[in-house]
Amino acid sequence: MTAPTHPGDRPSLRTFVSALAVTGVLSALLVCAAVAVAPGSVRTPLAAGGAAAALLLSAAVATAAQARQTARDARRRLESVTQDVGRLLQQQARTTEEARREQQRLIDELAQQRTEFTESFTAERARLEEEGARELDRLRRENARLTDEGERARRDRAAAISATSNTAARMQALATATLADLRAMEDRHADEDVLADLLHLDHRTAQAGRLADSIAVLTGARSGRRWARPIAMESILRGAMGRIAGYRRVRVHSVSETAVAGHAAEGVMHALAELLDNAANFSPPTAEVHVYVEEVPAGIIVSVEDSGLVMGEVQLRRAERAVAGDTAELGGLTGTRLGLAVVGRLARKHGLKVSFRPSARGGTGVLMLVPQDILTSPAPAAPAVAAPRPESAASAPSPDAVDAAPAPETTAPPEEGPAGLPKRRRGRTLAAAERGRSAPDGAASRTAPGTDEGKTRAARFSSFRQAVRPAAPAAAAPSQDGPAPEPSHAPAPDDRALAPDPAQAPAPHDRAAVPPPGTAPDSRPGGHPSSGAGEHSSPAPSHPHTHTHTHPEGDTTS
Amino acid sequence: MNRPGRDDAPDRLYTITQGRSRSSPDDPFDLVTLVVAESDPVAGMQSEHAAILKLTRFPTSVAEIAAELRLPVGITKVLLSDLSAAGRVSARHPRRPAITDPDILEQVLVGLRNL
Repeated sequence: MTAPTHPGDRPSLRTFVSALAVTGVLSALLVCAAVAVAPGSVRTPLAAGGAAAALLLSAAVATAAQARQTARDARRRLESVTQDVGRLLQQQARTTEEARREQQRLIDELAQQRTEFTESFTAERARLEEEGARELDRLRRENARLTDEGERARRDRAAAISATSNTAARMQALATATLADLRAMEDRHADEDVLADLLHLDHRTAQAGRLADSIAVLTGARSGRRWARPIAMESILRGAMGRIAGYRRVRVHSVSETAVAGHAAEGVMHALAELLDNAANFSPPTAEVHVYVEEVPAGIIVSVEDSGLVMGEVQLRRAERAVAGDTAELGGLTGTRLGLAVVGRLARKHGLKVSFRPSARGGTGVLMLVPQDILTSPAPAAPAVAAPRPESAASAPSPDAVDAAPAPETTAPPEEGPAGLPKRRRGRTLAAAERGRSAPDGAASRTAPGTDEGKTRAARFSSFRQAVRPAAPAAAAPSQDGPAPEPSHAPAPDDRALAPDPAQAPAPHDRAAVPPPGTAPDSRPGGHPSSGAGEHSSPAPSHPHTHTHTHPEGDTTS
Repeated sequence: MNRPGRDDAPDRLYTITQGRSRSSPDDPFDLVTLVVAESDPVAGMQSEHAAILKLTRFPTSVAEIAAELRLPVGITKVLLSDLSAAGRVSARHPRRPAITDPDILEQVLVGLRNL
C-alpha cells in the first residue's frame, strides 16, 4: 500500500497485484498446512476447497485494497482542487479590489478633469461672448451706417429720378407744344423758304422731343402724349421716322390698314423710332433702312432691316437681353445706349416682342411684334374724330361727297352721333350741324333754295366782297395775322367753337395759303348774293377758301 | 392749343414729303390749278396720294386739295408734283375769265350791293 502521488491505473494495478500476491501466498500456505494436517481422506477435497477459498479471498482482498487506494487518491485530488479554488477565489477578490480602486481613481481623475475643463470652458466662453458682443456691436454699428447710407442713396436716387422725370415731362410738354406751334406756323406761312426752315426746326424739335420721351420712359414718367384715337400704321411709321435724324433713308413698305390703339400708339411709335434710329445710325450714311409691315395672326410684325454692321452673337444676345425688358435697373445704361433700354421698357409696358437677327440685306434685322390686343381697325374710330379739319360750315354738307379724310379707307363720317344727337364737327357751329342733319343729302342742300342757302350765299359773297375791297393790302394779309396770339395760348378749336362769340377767337388752323382774293369763288359754283351786306358778322358759315385773315370778324367758323 | 399733341396727327409734314418742302421749278401747280386724277388709288400708296386721287375724280383746285388734306399748300404741291411725275394726275389751268377789268368787277360789285 504505497501512496502514489499520481493516481492512475498502473499504481492501482500494482496495489491490486501486490495485494493479490500477498493474500495468495498466505492463503496457499494456510491451505497447504491444512492439507498437510488433515487426514488423507479429506485431503483432496480439502485441497480443492481451500484453493478455491484462497483464490476468492485473494481476489476480495485485492479488490478491497485497490478500492481503498482509489478512494485515497480521489480524496487527495479533491483536496488539491479545493485548495486551488480557494486560491483562485482569493486572487479574484484581490483583483476585484484592485479594479475597484483603479476605477475609483479614474473616476476621481475624470471628475477633476471635468471640473477643470468646465472652468476653462466657462472662462473661454465668457471671453468669446464678450468678443462676440463687441463684434456684434461693431457690426450693428456698421450695419446701421450702411443702412443709413443705403437709405440716403435711395433717397438721393429717388429724388434724382423724380427730378429727371419731372424735367423730362416738362421737356416733353415743351417739345409737344413747340411742335404744335410749328405745325400751326407751317400752315400759316406760304413762303416755301419759310416752310423749309420751319420743317427743319420741326425735325430738330421732334428729335429733341424723342430724347425727352426716352428720359421720361427710363425714369418711369407717364407717357408724354396720349392719342385720343387709334393711329393708323402709316402714321405710326411716319411718326417714328419723323423723330430720327436719318428719316430720309427710311423706306417703308406697308399696305397694312391696321391701327394701333390710342393709348399704346405713342409707345409703339417711340419704340419704333428707337429701332429705326439704331438701324440708321449703325449703317452707312448712304444706305437705306427698309421697314416692312406684315400682318400675322398674333398681330403685326414690323421688321427693320439695315445693311450696316452685322451684330455678333454676343451683341445679339446683349441686345435681346436689353429689349427683353426684364431689368428695371438703370445701372447698365451708358449715355449713348439709351435706345434699347427704352425699347425694353416700352416693350414690357405694351407687350411688344422684339428680336434681332442677321438681316438678308447684310446688316441687322429687328422684328417687332405688335400684339393683337393693342391693335384695332381704324374704320370704326376714324369717323368720330378722324382728322379734324377746320372746314367751314358752308362746305360742311358737302364733304361727305368728296370726303378726303387722311385715312382713305374710312367711310363717310356720320353726321349724327351715336345717340342720334347732332354731332358738331370741329370748326362748325352747332346750328350748322343741325342744318346738316336736317338735310343729310349734301348735294340737295347745296342746290335747294331756302333761307339757309340764301344766308350761306350771302355770307360767301360778303367774304368775297370784303376780300376784294382792300385790294392793295391783300399781299400783306399774312402779316396782319402776325399779331395773333401764339397758337399754344390760343383756345383750342373745341373751346373756340363752344365760345358764345366765336368771332373773337383767333383761328389757329387758318391756312395762310388761302387763294388770293377774287380767285376763290371760281373753285366752287354758286355764291350769288341774295342779301345785303352785314350778314358777314353773323355766325353763318362762310366759304372755306374765301375768308382771309384780314377779316377776323367774318372769320367765324374756320 | 391748350391740349397740344392730343388732337393733331403724329406724322410730321417732312415725313410726308421725305423732307422736300419745295416743288420743282417747272411745277405746273399754283393755287387755282385744277387737278384731275388719271387713275384710281392703288394699295400700298401713300395715304395722301390716295386721298388726292379720290379727291380729284372731279377737277379740284390745289387750294381745295390742300384744305381737304389739311396740309400747307407747299406740301400739297410737292405731293401733286410726285403724282404728276408718275402720270397719275394732270393739271388744268383755269380759263382766263373773260372779264378781267377791275372797274367792271367793281361796278358789278356795287350793283350787287345795291340789290
